[in-house]
Amino acid sequence: MPIKSYLAYPVRGQRDALTAALRRLGGCDVSCEVLPAENRDLLVVVTDTPDEATEAALQEALVRVPALEGLALVAVVGEGEVEAAGRFTAGVPEETGHESA
Amino acid sequence: MSVNRSRLFLIGLAVLLMAAVVVVVGQSLVADREPARVLPVAEATPTLPSEAGMYARAARAVDYAAMPTEPNRKRTLAAFYARRASLGAPPVIPHPVEERDASGKTCLACHGDGGWVPRFEAYTPVTPHPELTSCRQCHVPLAGSESGMRGSTSTGQITQPPALRGGVMPGSPPPIPHGLEMRENCRACHAGPGAVDALRTTHPERVSCRQCHALGAPPAAAFARPPEGGAR
Amino acid sequence: MNRREALRALAATAAMSAAEATFPGVLFRGGGGASTAGAQTPPAEAGVVWRKTPCRFCGVGCGLLVGISNGRAVAVKGDPTSPVNLGLGCVKGYHSVMALYGKDRLTQALVRKDGKLTPVPMKEALDLVAAKMAETIKAHGKDAVAMYGSGQWTIPDGYVASKLMKGAIGTNNLEANARLCMASAVTGFMTSFGLDEPMGCYEDIDHADVFVLWGNNMAEMHPVLFSRLLERRLKNPEVKIIDLATRWTRTSMAADRSILFKPQTDLAIANAICHEILRNDWVNAAFVRNHVSFHEGKTNIGYGLEDKFAFKDEPKTITLERYRELLAEYAVEKVEALSGVPARELRYLASLYADPKKKVMSFWCMGFNQHTRGTWINNLIYNIHLLVGKIATPGNSPFSLTGQPSACGTVREVGTLTHRLPHGDVTDEKARKQAAEIWQVPLERIAPKPTYHTVEMFRALDRGDIRFMWIQVTNPMVTMPKLRRYRDALKKDDRFIVVSDVYPTPTTDVADVVLPAAMWIEREGMWGNSERRTQHFDKMLTPPGEAMSDAWQMIEVARRMGFEKLFPWTEANHIPEIWREYSRFQAGPEHEMASYDELRRRPGVLWPFVNGKETKWRYNGQYDPAAKGPFDFYGKPDRRAWIWFRPYEAPPEMPDAQYPFWLNTGRVVEHWHSGSLTRRVPVLHNAVPAAYVELHPADARKLGIANGQRVRLTTRRGGLVLPAQIDGRARPPEGQVFVPFFDEGYLINELTLDAFCPISGQPDYKKCAVKVERA
Repeated sequence: MPIKSYLAYPVRGQRDALTAALRRLGGCDVSCEVLPAENRDLLVVVTDTPDEATEAALQEALVRVPALEGLALVAVVGEGEVEAAGRFTAGVPEETGHESA
Repeated sequence: MSVNRSRLFLIGLAVLLMAAVVVVVGQSLVADREPARVLPVAEATPTLPSEAGMYARAARAVDYAAMPTEPNRKRTLAAFYARRASLGAPPVIPHPVEERDASGKTCLACHGDGGWVPRFEAYTPVTPHPELTSCRQCHVPLAGSESGMRGSTSTGQITQPPALRGGVMPGSPPPIPHGLEMRENCRACHAGPGAVDALRTTHPERVSCRQCHALGAPPAAAFARPPEGGAR
Repeated sequence: MNRREALRALAATAAMSAAEATFPGVLFRGGGGASTAGAQTPPAEAGVVWRKTPCRFCGVGCGLLVGISNGRAVAVKGDPTSPVNLGLGCVKGYHSVMALYGKDRLTQALVRKDGKLTPVPMKEALDLVAAKMAETIKAHGKDAVAMYGSGQWTIPDGYVASKLMKGAIGTNNLEANARLCMASAVTGFMTSFGLDEPMGCYEDIDHADVFVLWGNNMAEMHPVLFSRLLERRLKNPEVKIIDLATRWTRTSMAADRSILFKPQTDLAIANAICHEILRNDWVNAAFVRNHVSFHEGKTNIGYGLEDKFAFKDEPKTITLERYRELLAEYAVEKVEALSGVPARELRYLASLYADPKKKVMSFWCMGFNQHTRGTWINNLIYNIHLLVGKIATPGNSPFSLTGQPSACGTVREVGTLTHRLPHGDVTDEKARKQAAEIWQVPLERIAPKPTYHTVEMFRALDRGDIRFMWIQVTNPMVTMPKLRRYRDALKKDDRFIVVSDVYPTPTTDVADVVLPAAMWIEREGMWGNSERRTQHFDKMLTPPGEAMSDAWQMIEVARRMGFEKLFPWTEANHIPEIWREYSRFQAGPEHEMASYDELRRRPGVLWPFVNGKETKWRYNGQYDPAAKGPFDFYGKPDRRAWIWFRPYEAPPEMPDAQYPFWLNTGRVVEHWHSGSLTRRVPVLHNAVPAAYVELHPADARKLGIANGQRVRLTTRRGGLVLPAQIDGRARPPEGQVFVPFFDEGYLINELTLDAFCPISGQPDYKKCAVKVERA
């Protein structure tokens, strides 16, 4: 349900394979935007799923891609709802201070 | 004759021992008479936590920097939070442990330095405070964790986990969103294969962490100049 | 774009920012660039231009890249091409641009009318400043006006100040706050070598095997340089870092060995090391025979506590044998008793310095310089390196660290001090002739006698010998020692105080005129760091309101006073023109500066810059074109380095029955000086929001003080109540307390003493006697 963005690192030499594989992920319900960097072996991936089940399935599919060396979650942008697995707030830098425990 | 002498010796020894007991007990009784010092309750002023642990295990930094950043599939951020009742709470033990508490020896064998555990197919998290060895005083196993590791044990929800984001400007070093009590050794949680992916630092070889990462918690009142008349 | 799409763009932007952090210069085509949900955070690459600049803060002089977007500074990263920091920053540097945007930034000129500071047009304020300055000179003479500047002045600012005060008006009443931070380092250099500034450079770090840190908390005060030490050790585990200090700090935690000594006994320790080197015959005899001469000076030289305190040293050339005799009372056993450092440790230190297989680099800063015998202790550390011949070669380096971004570049090199000209001293006729020629002023205009160093200058203001003072880029109403006297002085009637600054401070609070200044990258300039590296930065932003650069404020005032011929430049070309004119003073292989174009192209250039090459190691014939032979200490008439015998002498005020603790003051990494900039950066303010007093836990227990409790500190000069901090980031030994000075709400300098080194005039902020009680 939340929108997530990642940095995806390809296995050495398999950047294009990774880009293609990630673009093929999911079905019509899943939006998976892939932005390869021009001058580095690095991709930005933005995912958007309609419900938890699809999200879980997408996660599974993501980590199974053979050309994927590593995946780093950068931001989770939610609608402000409570989620069972933990609550996150928007991952965008702000000028003010931030909350803590 | 020899019997007498040895008996004399034994009596002498006993007397000596009794004298010693009298002295020792006497001293401790006297000491007990000193009035207990009652320290006043500190006012709530923000204080800066100790940093003794920041440079600990710095030698590992080079190893961590050389390791491939393989995604740690079991230790997700969700699982990390699910093991803690609240921020700063000691995480529960998600794997079976023996009833008899042999804390100091057994836990540190894996959690002192981390490493791959074939049985759970996972990397062990490293403790930021190895000097505290009475582990089961704070870390308890959750009922029902006998059958292998639990990905998500329910300890109740974590309220308000710190927002994971960059610093206040694009590319700034993020401030430290959590308190540092017992977590002064940054590398334990933020570097190495046992770290949660979303928390792993890109630069474990830089060992002077607080040179760039300011303490962000607890939040302070905004800066304001003192009223006319200056210092207190 | 609907909300969902906007959120996706937001997430993509965040990912691109994260990628930027790890891979500076990474580019993403299309996607996510054009729109964002948050107005304050522009996308990572679209529309952000990265420009190079040295950092606004400490004397390390890190190269930074500032991200400018829509006329605003929005990001900072380390410049990976800078040889100083190699892409790394520290918490102040990374958030430095936020200091430009504090809510109460000064944007209008203010003039005190009926006791209240009232906004006026800048033109009117400048008219008033010029008029008042001229009026004071007419009524009381040219030495009744004074200027107090800063090691945070750019080089052009300092040059204009020098030309105005010394070339136009003809007074030597020009001082800068670097007197309070580096003066002893300067007099140390001048007495030992005849020329200022280190002979080595930061590259020594990459060659040294042993780093000895004397009385400086490098992990917090020169953090990026300290990280270079840590990296060197990480890659070469044999490398050792030794921390010699009066208090246990973050640096002690990171060091291989932490050695604590009693305050002021650094003098004895250095002599003990020399004694040990001589005793074991570890001297580099050939080096000493060919390149060193021995000297002694006066002893019992006083502390400057009285007004108009004067001191003149009486140097005597002596032999090595006489030097050995004088050192006899510094055997390690005797020094152990005095300093609290075990003899074993003293021998260990001596053996590190003497080991022919180890290259040794010594670092020091305020512990040595803010010292009533600051010149002496600077001499003594050079003595150690000279006896073993470990100097001016890669890795062997006694390195004097500088506090401010341009105490070297501006105050020391341009010479904004009472006794200096842009090249040479005012007492030297040759130097005056050169200045008269370049400035096109009559030789008689340039005053041949120095007037006052900083403490004496403020005392003169108190007495009324000075009636007008213009203070720029510094906050003396927080930083002068024995503050009450000097605050009362500035508040007196018939003292006209002009302050140029960027935020309201306790100094602007007592001003008659406040001029809003352009800050850092809001104007073009150059700064010079600790390792003789001059770094240029462009004007990247428009200053707010009527804020104007310090240099241009002075030029405007100078023109109003009739000196337009000396300041003929336009706003567009004044910086390159000033640089060209200033460079003429430094011509020659001993100090040649790079051209303006060269400075713009490169991430800084070391001087001397001779025939397109930087001189990394001075006095060494292999690297320095001005040196004749393998070593040539050409600053001195005998072309040798001078070893001075200097004894241990106690400080003027030590703990006693009534005031039983030492009071030490200093900084923390998050805050710069008096906090006027860093406390307006939320991240930095939040990390350390207020001052405190550090106590040893045993002392706290005896006094019944808990962490966070209020403590009363009292000295013979004043009192203050602060919260206690026990076992925080640092721990003073028993019998000592430490207070950081960044918080204008706790003016700790009301308690300190204005004793100074008689040779340099630099006050000692690290030692006086204080009473500590529960409040």
